[in-house]
Amino acid sequence: MPPPQHDAGRVLYAGLHLLDRQLVDRDGRYAGKVDDLELCPGEDGNTLFVSAVLAGPGALARRLGARRLGAWLERALTHLGDPPANDLRILFNRISDVGDHVTLAANHDEMATFAAGRWVRDHIIHHIPGSRVRPPGPEERG
Amino acid sequence: VKRIIEVSLGILTAIGGFVDIGDLVANTAVGARFHLALAWVVVLGVGGIVVYAEMCGRVAAISGRAVFDLVRERLGPRVGLANLAASFFINFLTLTAEVAGVAIALSLVSSVTYVLLIPFTGFLVWVVIWRLPFEWMERAFGLLGLALVVALVTVVRIGPDWNALLAQALHPHVPSEETPFTYAYYGIALFGAAMTPYEVFFFSSGAVEENWTEQDLAVERANVYVGFPLGGLLSLSLMTGAALVLAPSQIQVDQLSQVALPTALVVGKLGLAVLLVGIFAATFGAALETALSAGYTVAQFLGWQWGKFVRPEEAPRFHLVVVLSLAGGVLFALSGVDPVKVTEYSIVLSAAALPLTYFPILVIANDPDYMGEKVNGRLLNLVATAYLVVLVAVALATIPLMIITKAGA
Repeated sequence: MPPPQHDAGRVLYAGLHLLDRQLVDRDGRYAGKVDDLELCPGEDGNTLFVSAVLAGPGALARRLGARRLGAWLERALTHLGDPPANDLRILFNRISDVGDHVTLAANHDEMATFAAGRWVRDHIIHHIPGSRVRPPGPEERG
Repeated sequence: VKRIIEVSLGILTAIGGFVDIGDLVANTAVGARFHLALAWVVVLGVGGIVVYAEMCGRVAAISGRAVFDLVRERLGPRVGLANLAASFFINFLTLTAEVAGVAIALSLVSSVTYVLLIPFTGFLVWVVIWRLPFEWMERAFGLLGLALVVALVTVVRIGPDWNALLAQALHPHVPSEETPFTYAYYGIALFGAAMTPYEVFFFSSGAVEENWTEQDLAVERANVYVGFPLGGLLSLSLMTGAALVLAPSQIQVDQLSQVALPTALVVGKLGLAVLLVGIFAATFGAALETALSAGYTVAQFLGWQWGKFVRPEEAPRFHLVVVLSLAGGVLFALSGVDPVKVTEYSIVLSAAALPLTYFPILVIANDPDYMGEKVNGRLLNLVATAYLVVLVAVALATIPLMIITKAGA
């Protein structure tokens, strides 16, 4: 894996290189998609910078034009379980690499994007015997 | 030696796993109605699945990305979502048909009406998905599916005039009691059965599940280039058996059990038993594949963790989608739908949805950002593009033909 890039000035075609890419956490687990981007104007007022990645079905619905549905989905998500440690915006400084997928400098379990997954895990999957059994085969993989 | 065992095991698995309820029903029904006049479609369809399965297996091995992941990236969220909705629905029909198929196979040996066996079947499928490691699961049902070779034995036992059969297959004409429309409609059904989209969803996701890398490409190619055509041979055997045994008696196929009729008549009880094992394995294996594919497509579109290579608790939403789809399929099958009709609709609608799935595969297989040096060669691109043209033509013709022929009546 190439070294993490922290240079703020990297030029990417956001629509091509970022949108709809897979988010992968630092342990190689899938952590959602780049469903939308938050842009903010730079100091010169002409350039836009990507300030955060927005993830989750709410952001996706809003990007597709379903604003109400998007807001509802996001609210529903925040009602599921513990208040998320951070919101659904993934600030750009938590992204360690942009390649054919986007690597995060975090664990997916810490992310708000896993709120629904966490709920399903704690309320349904954990009640089924065998849910914690590790499958055979190569140990960790990324 | 280990390598040789691995390769041959993979090939055998691919042969046995190739046939599913769509192939069983379509080939038998077409053989009984059109003799071998549509055999060329099976060859065309097998060629198509070989070309595209190889591509998506290679993409998965090199980039670690499965098909629906790429669908979203290349088609964008809107068209991707439309594809997801269509694929999920068609896959659900297929899942329902496979579950019903397993139940029918079990009912033929247990004399319990198949409807009562449907919930049990659904539960069994789920238990296997939940507990059996991916590789064992794939191997066990693929190898057991080899029992379908008895369909080939059936044809050889009949001792047909091979030259006449070959002439029939090579100079196809529309039988006098059929119209060009029904001929085309059943051709599309056969094509859809051979190229069902879930096969590439499952094949590419399976490559990620088994953690394929560049070193596995040789094995992958052997599986696809040798295993799939031999699986197609089983399809053609079923068709030929139906053409030789069912067609002369004017038997129309409207029940899954009729798939077994030629073998039962020609090879006898033992043959029938072996064929039933094959039908059970083929439908059960495909029930596993379609149930998993329901989870694969949704999870890959939304970016959730998926797969059996992690603990179930790590992919909770994936497992939830799988179990809900299975439960839905069981309920739908219990509602009294005709399993053969569901099968026919699923393969014909598959044909209509094919381009949306196969186009992104072709694009990514040519993208050096993902593939490095392992991009498609020129010849492969030529063949794949020709297939894409066929897929689009088929997709456009499907719905009108469905209306004109009243779904092949």
